[in-house]
Amino acid sequence: MSAFVPLVHAGLLVGLALVCLVDRRLARACLAFIGFALMMALAWWHLGAPWLGLAEALFGALFTGLALLHALGTWSREPGPPSHDHFLRRRRQVPIRLLVAVAWAILVAMGVGLLLGTGVVELLAEGRRRPLLPAGLAIMTLGAWAFATHTHLLRRLLAFNLLGSGIFLLLAGLAGARAEVQALILVGLVVAWLGTLLGAVLIRRLHALESRVTLVAEDEPGGGE
Amino acid sequence: MSAWFGLAASPEAFPPAMMAALSLALLAPPLLGVVAMRFPPRHPAPVVAVALPAITLWLLTAVAAHGGHHAPVSLGALDLQLRLDALSALLLLLTQLLMLASAAYAVGHRQAARIPRRAAAWLWPLLGGLTTSLALIWLAADLLTLYAALELMGLCAVAMMLLPGQADALAAGMRYLLFALVGSLAWLLGVALLLGAWGRLDLAGLSATVEPGPVTWIAVALLSAGLLLKAAIFPLHAWLAPVHGSAWPPVSAIHGALVVKASFFILLQLWLLLIPGQVAGAWVLGGLGSAAVLWGGLLAWRARGLKQVVAFSTVGQLGYLLLAFPLLIGTSEAVAALAWQGTWLQLAGHALAKAAMFMAAGNLLLATGHGGLAELAGTSRRLPLALMTFGIAAVTLMGLPPSAGFTAKWLLLQAALLAGQWPWVLVLALGSLLTAAYVFRVFRYTFVEEAPRHDFRQLPVGMDLIALLLALTALGLGLAADWPLAMLRPGGGEP
Amino acid sequence: MTSLLFAAGLWLALLWPLALALRVPVRAALASPGHSRRLLDGLWCTAPLPALGLAMLAPPGQLVLEWWMLGGVWELDGLRRPLLAFTALLWGLAGFHARGYLAPEQARLEAGDGSAGGRLQRFALLWPLTLAGNLLLIVAEDIASFYLGFAVMTFAAYGLVVHAGTRDARVGGLAYLVMAVLGEGLILAGLLWAAGSAGTLTLGGLREAIAAAQQGVWMAVLLWLGFGVKAGVAGLHLWLPLAHPVAPTPASAVLSGAMVKAGLVGWLGSLPLGDPGAGEAFARLGRVMLVAGLLAALGAALYGVCQRHPKAVLAYSSVSQMGMITALVAMGLIAPMAWPAISAAVVLFAAHHGLTKGALFLGVSIGEHPPRVPAWLLWSLLALPALSLAGALGSGLATKWAFKSPLYESGHSGVVAWLSLAAVGTTALMARALWRQWQSGVQARRDGLIPLAGPMPLAWLGMLLAAGTLPWWLPLGRPAWPPVDELPGLLWPVALGVGLAVAAAWAARRWPWHLHGRLPPGDLWWPLAAAWWGCRGRVQGPMAWLGETRAVLVACLVEGERRWKGRLVAVSRAEGWLRRHAAVLMMVIAIVLAMTMWGTA
Repeated sequence: MSAFVPLVHAGLLVGLALVCLVDRRLARACLAFIGFALMMALAWWHLGAPWLGLAEALFGALFTGLALLHALGTWSREPGPPSHDHFLRRRRQVPIRLLVAVAWAILVAMGVGLLLGTGVVELLAEGRRRPLLPAGLAIMTLGAWAFATHTHLLRRLLAFNLLGSGIFLLLAGLAGARAEVQALILVGLVVAWLGTLLGAVLIRRLHALESRVTLVAEDEPGGGE
Repeated sequence: MSAWFGLAASPEAFPPAMMAALSLALLAPPLLGVVAMRFPPRHPAPVVAVALPAITLWLLTAVAAHGGHHAPVSLGALDLQLRLDALSALLLLLTQLLMLASAAYAVGHRQAARIPRRAAAWLWPLLGGLTTSLALIWLAADLLTLYAALELMGLCAVAMMLLPGQADALAAGMRYLLFALVGSLAWLLGVALLLGAWGRLDLAGLSATVEPGPVTWIAVALLSAGLLLKAAIFPLHAWLAPVHGSAWPPVSAIHGALVVKASFFILLQLWLLLIPGQVAGAWVLGGLGSAAVLWGGLLAWRARGLKQVVAFSTVGQLGYLLLAFPLLIGTSEAVAALAWQGTWLQLAGHALAKAAMFMAAGNLLLATGHGGLAELAGTSRRLPLALMTFGIAAVTLMGLPPSAGFTAKWLLLQAALLAGQWPWVLVLALGSLLTAAYVFRVFRYTFVEEAPRHDFRQLPVGMDLIALLLALTALGLGLAADWPLAMLRPGGGEP
Repeated sequence: MTSLLFAAGLWLALLWPLALALRVPVRAALASPGHSRRLLDGLWCTAPLPALGLAMLAPPGQLVLEWWMLGGVWELDGLRRPLLAFTALLWGLAGFHARGYLAPEQARLEAGDGSAGGRLQRFALLWPLTLAGNLLLIVAEDIASFYLGFAVMTFAAYGLVVHAGTRDARVGGLAYLVMAVLGEGLILAGLLWAAGSAGTLTLGGLREAIAAAQQGVWMAVLLWLGFGVKAGVAGLHLWLPLAHPVAPTPASAVLSGAMVKAGLVGWLGSLPLGDPGAGEAFARLGRVMLVAGLLAALGAALYGVCQRHPKAVLAYSSVSQMGMITALVAMGLIAPMAWPAISAAVVLFAAHHGLTKGALFLGVSIGEHPPRVPAWLLWSLLALPALSLAGALGSGLATKWAFKSPLYESGHSGVVAWLSLAAVGTTALMARALWRQWQSGVQARRDGLIPLAGPMPLAWLGMLLAAGTLPWWLPLGRPAWPPVDELPGLLWPVALGVGLAVAAAWAARRWPWHLHGRLPPGDLWWPLAAAWWGCRGRVQGPMAWLGETRAVLVACLVEGERRWKGRLVAVSRAEGWLRRHAAVLMMVIAIVLAMTMWGTA
């Protein structure tokens, strides 16, 4: 049972991340992100860092979620960006980007694996931390791939947030819930929130000024960022 | 190598006076920024009156006389580390001087460009935050502080770039925001691996315990990639030029002069401390730097807008800094000493000259009202001061004597010859030629008299003078280079 | 402690003018638009005071600055102190005078005339800058500082010469600049050659090196001619009579009184004067210098009396006086044993001429704007420095005796005779200058009088006082006064000069020659300029062909650049590609870096 719960937890995290990144209906993706952030908070609490869990719930779920919904124009009378992402990348770019993201993931995985091999991290002694590493790796890979592939700015913001969360999980999985780790993650959380807020405001302004939701200029057809 | 960065094996507390001065240097800028946001200065005089550089000068003389300090600073359960040696004090001084110059310029610029009061007021707290984050980056001796400072710097820089509020500024700023955030995440990933492997974050401890091995290499590769993206090094530089295209000149000046270099500073520090024997990796970075010199020069040569010329020239000039890696890593003591001095002199000289150049370009743009090079026709007669400033700054960038750029490139050249690393000699020569090409292209446009316009706008003299002063400082740094170089001699700060 | 004080004083003396120069742009930058302030205020006038204090009070000393350029050595010795003292005093009084002289421009600035503001600002900035260069070159013992000071002074003074911005001022400025660049070139060549061949960085070392070097005499020729441009050696003096009349009067006073002496300082610093081991070649050079000096002394007097503008007459008098100084300096090469006594006389002569000529120049503007004093008093005061320069009074008499006695003792009485003849010329020149002033002064008196207590009359009176009492306060040791039975021998040139002047005036009234129309100020400049334009016309044909070739070449280059740029379109397309793929590229770079490190381990 005690080994099973964290496993389910990790699975939920990856699942929500997947929904958040793959779903083209932006409102649903944002809601999935809020759920994901709450799951993250739960993970920190499990790890013995309740204050970090609280910070995650506050900054990750509440504030970032509010910022994302603001970007969608949920509470605004002015029309927000369309609620559906229908941009498509050129077909030949997609596999290359996937390939690079996978190579990047393999690189990180090799680092983590070598670390485990050297026995510096007594991972097996701490059962609670074990599932964090593969989950973090998976979420980071998804985030990296999505960041490289998506063109819609809101989805790139989501991808960036998930990439960050995956790295936080890896960090905690590798080094435990020490004070330094908590401080690093806390800084990361605040910055991710501020970045998302800034990004959300920018998306609204860009849409209002030029009704565009990507950075692809008109003279670069189908290019995408 | 840890002594080069003023890191001691056993840190001890700062003397109280020094601690007070440091706290002032770190805390005063944001406070002043908030005050200035509420009461925006209408005149450059109160800005210039901020005496922070004097305090830093005192710190510098103290450090030069008695050697550097490296001290732990406890923050609850966290153990942070700060160090103050000649290098960090010099960089701190440079930062504060440039910030004050840019702030003084911004006062005139706001009035001349008729920027709305509300948008302009936000500049001040952001400048303050940027100053503090840069100061922290020069001073911090552990990865946690560096991470926090790096993030603060990135956010402040992005926010400053967004202030003009036009669509192209917003789009470029959005791109910058995304890349800055992702670059920091790559850095955090590397830090996670390091922390997992060696269990500590302080640089002195890491440099003593880290052993070369795949985990270290992967970690350094990850965080290098993130820092290279933030430092706008070829081929990850492409966000830089659009960002500068629409930013305000005082913001561009600070960004081109300091912000991109902070990432370089961290990168060099980590390589020298963590993988001091990694020659092949250093050559890869040197190769990237050479490519940056040529690529930046080429693009500056064919850029259409004046600010694009200056922005691409930043890309090229940053490339010179990367030559420090192959010249410092795995070379003899003498080569490393030359390259060390040359690198920091290049950094300082370029920072001053680039700030001057952005300001001069801003003056030309404001006066002509257009950003294109072709619009500069006839400026040679009407705006000689701004053009002269541009020219003096360009002397430093081209590396002509007696500028700081010349001394720096001379030192790098000597180091490359001494080490027998011929490719860099070629890069230095080609880079200077390309720089001359794009600078003279700008001047050629200014001397066109065929369609002389007569509606140049009058600007306050102060705006030209600040830029001229910076350009002359860059030139004078070459004459008085002995003073900083004596302090930067490896171990020069040591008693 | 004293050395610290000395260093502080020296720094203050040099930095204070610079600080005051810097104050001008800073105030301009800080001033709110539309609000003009007094540019030449009391603080501005204090620029040379620290240097004056240093020269009068400080003991001889030396300051070594290892970090300064190639290593700086600044020194204050027996010859430098009097030079510094009279230079600083002259600058101070002339600066004070400038306050009054430029007051109309200040008024126009306040009335909203932008061009007057720009001119005044330039003057306020360049005046202390020129002063700083002048002071630095006097105290510098290392070559780099000396040259720096010389160059700063020379080029900053250009702005003072062209102050008025009229056509004449531009011609004067052009002459000044052309000759200055020529001089700088010669000096730089000489300094680099001599310093480079001997590996020395100080002027003392330079003198020894030149005396010992095989080609030493050629180095000395270069330096003599280079500094001679400034000192107005015959043939190189062209700029003096052109630049002086057009410059503002206070600037003329320092040009003629102090800056011209920079050439002398250069000679004293770089030529192996009084070195018995210098060799025969140097004695030959000395004889050439002597002839050139006497030629200038007499020729300038003859040409100068035909001038109309009092400042042009005074400028020719400067050429003449500097010719006499050149002749005396030449004695340092011809008769090295007598040099110690002559050198003191040369410095006294320089100080005497500097202050007296300053008083005469300020007197010109006093003549144009007469103060509220009786006419007889004013004209006797104006005549005083003229008599002194001719050698009949005060410092002039002391100076004359100071060089006459060592020349007699060393058996060069021939030179004394020639110098006495030059003094006749000087007297005639002075008479001519006063006469021209008198003619324009009568009209000026009708136009109105200015109060006596203003800066212009006060500065002039101060200069009169300083020039008259020079031998008593100059830190050069007490000069000997001539015994009474020598007086006729010293005074006959003055009497002869006065007599000739009266006769010539009478003759000119009977048979007007209108010589001044045929002999414009600047003498050789005009034929040279005409020849230059003629040559340009002559070579225009070939030049046109060259121009066509150049046009073809430029067209080719432009075409090449255009074609290249066409190719570079690919570069900008690649830049766009890089921009779109930055995120992927970051990952690729991480992978490449890691693989490289791993692969080569």
